[in-house]
Amino acid sequence: MSEPVLELRSISKNFGENQALDDVNLTVEHGSLIVLLGPAGAGKTTTLRIVAGLEAPSSGSIFIEGADFTKHQPNQRDIAMIFDNLALYPNKNGFENIASPLRIAKTPKDEIDRRVHEMAGMLKIDHILERTPATFSGGERQRVALGRAMIRQPRFYLLDEPLSSLDFMLRIDLRTELKRLQRETGQTFLFATPDYTEAMALADTVCVLLDGKVRQIAKAQELYDEPVDRDVARFVGNPPINIIPARITRDNGTVNISVGSMTMPLPAKMEHGLPSSVSNVEIGLRPEHVRIVESGSDVIHLTGIVNDLEPLGMHTTVGLDLEGVNLFFTVEGVQEFKDGDKVDVHVDLESLLFFDPETGRRIT
Amino acid sequence: MAKIKLELVKLCKEFGELNAVDDVSIAIEESETMALLGPSGCGKTTILNMIVGLEKPTSGEILIDGKSVLNVPPGQRNVGLVFQDYAVFTHMTVRQNLAYGLKLRKMKQPEIDREIYKVSEFLSLGHQLDRKPSELGASELQRVAIGRTLVTNPEILLLDEPLSNLEASMRNQMRRELRRIQGETGQTIIYVTHDQIEALSLAHQIAVMNLGALQQYDTARNVYEYPANRFVGSFLGNPPMNFIRGKLAEDSGQRVVSSGESTMPLPAGIIGADMTIGSDVVVGVRPESLNLAAADNPGRFTSEVLAVEPQGPETVVTAAFGDSSFKVIVPAGTDAEAGGAITLAPQSDLVALFDAETGVRLMNSGGA
Repeated sequence: MSEPVLELRSISKNFGENQALDDVNLTVEHGSLIVLLGPAGAGKTTTLRIVAGLEAPSSGSIFIEGADFTKHQPNQRDIAMIFDNLALYPNKNGFENIASPLRIAKTPKDEIDRRVHEMAGMLKIDHILERTPATFSGGERQRVALGRAMIRQPRFYLLDEPLSSLDFMLRIDLRTELKRLQRETGQTFLFATPDYTEAMALADTVCVLLDGKVRQIAKAQELYDEPVDRDVARFVGNPPINIIPARITRDNGTVNISVGSMTMPLPAKMEHGLPSSVSNVEIGLRPEHVRIVESGSDVIHLTGIVNDLEPLGMHTTVGLDLEGVNLFFTVEGVQEFKDGDKVDVHVDLESLLFFDPETGRRIT
Repeated sequence: MAKIKLELVKLCKEFGELNAVDDVSIAIEESETMALLGPSGCGKTTILNMIVGLEKPTSGEILIDGKSVLNVPPGQRNVGLVFQDYAVFTHMTVRQNLAYGLKLRKMKQPEIDREIYKVSEFLSLGHQLDRKPSELGASELQRVAIGRTLVTNPEILLLDEPLSNLEASMRNQMRRELRRIQGETGQTIIYVTHDQIEALSLAHQIAVMNLGALQQYDTARNVYEYPANRFVGSFLGNPPMNFIRGKLAEDSGQRVVSSGESTMPLPAGIIGADMTIGSDVVVGVRPESLNLAAADNPGRFTSEVLAVEPQGPETVVTAAFGDSSFKVIVPAGTDAEAGGAITLAPQSDLVALFDAETGVRLMNSGGA
């Protein structure tokens, strides 16, 4: 097992009174794609800047391929940083834009030729190598810029929201491309984004940063299914997870969850995760784990009044008033019912998450 | 049939050589929300400006309640415009902001108080009336901006990208708020946006614009399920509609589209009588209209998986078709891996053929 390409060891950063990063630990293995996910102000860019050497940590160290690089200058670290606003040389054609780092490094001409064409093939931009940037589309510009950054073969790449200024359709195309490229070249990416869908689509591993702290490091689907706390659960998923106050009651060996005046039986396999001392909880219920059932059915768990319908094409989001608590859930396609209708729903109880109402930590 | 509130008739606007708005005709019923949806530069803001009176059409007609407003000056058309950047007076309190339009109309103070009370209760701004905008959050500011316009009781409320300055988490809430306002006031609303989610979630009718021309004007559902052309199909949906290019062929009695080694069976109903084997076709199918298929499904086809992107409840799989690729949405936990294979079947009522050259939808299958 080789050394990790990058290690952040107990990195903290203060800007005056404000603690931007608090004891951040992260290990990045060779050839992996790690995404830093967090809202604006969470510390993503500060983390990348510290790794790049543009900012010194207040405490902690940066190890690159097993060696301490904390005090090294940016240009000694051999890292490429890719931002959102990528500038191209307007007077150079596509080929020369991509080739420019190799020209500076005085790479032999035939090697430049070979590597630029290889890169252009991978990025599917062979057709614009002879053209100047003024004639490129947004996606072509971004690809040329990526090609220029990647031709150098640095130790690893830091990408700070590189797709955020592109329009939506291009963004989802390019992220698929980016992941394919990373796979095919075996490069290492540390990628920052506030968009959980982008994070999940790209990442081998997602590192969630909230308020300067690492909250969770997990595989994409695990982050969604097994969040460590309420904040992570809310940040990942749209419509967001429903967090509903509930009570646990025990009666002759059966365990029930009560929401308002409604009571649902807890599946036996979930009971052991709940300490017997726990009575007040918050349940986390994902919008796709609720379905409408016929009135009179014996699998009704909750009953509410429809108070919102949001058609979104593939899905419709339904808002339900459960005795004063709002529940949002998704159903396929377009729905026929209306605001004010009474609706009975079934809850996939085995998918319920339980949170401590005080700390927000996940109980089970 | 409800009454037509606003009608645009063959509306054109030229800026020099540029046809910013090219022959657009749209009728909007009273109490409806109509979304003008399109990318930047498609002409939607120019249309808005012509309705308000900030621009004069090169030709065409704008009718409100059946009467032309072309010669009515901007301030007197009784249409209320809310911009994306709030346009709230920062030196005035919320109350003064809300009162502003009414004072201009020389309304008496007791009446102004009554109207402000009504609108502030309705927009949950009751506790904020004596605050300055600098003390308010983004969604409250947005409500003040809407309230300022709503209080003047306009015939038509025009909203220009009203949510684009809000964070993602705030948008869900604000969309819900806008649906409630529309439902309770019965206000006729024109909603300008480049965001398909906002258009689908707020509008009864959607007018999709591109390059100054109206691409489709229909109910939100029809625009999504039965796009009139490739532009509309690719502008709505996440991921958008797939357009699979190939040649019409026959495989053991069944019509298929084929490209390289790949074939996809086509539902019988969508192929026109005049289409011959070997002709170029483009098949439009949404990523959610392709389902995982069992090995004995006669409509199945198999593709190589190129990428797998988990999204929470669902996973987006990119799969190969000839030299190109398409996306399909499968449930989370589906066994799919880059380099492996996936077996799918198209949901027959939501597959359509598009003209390979013009991009226009060929068959009017279903609702449209």
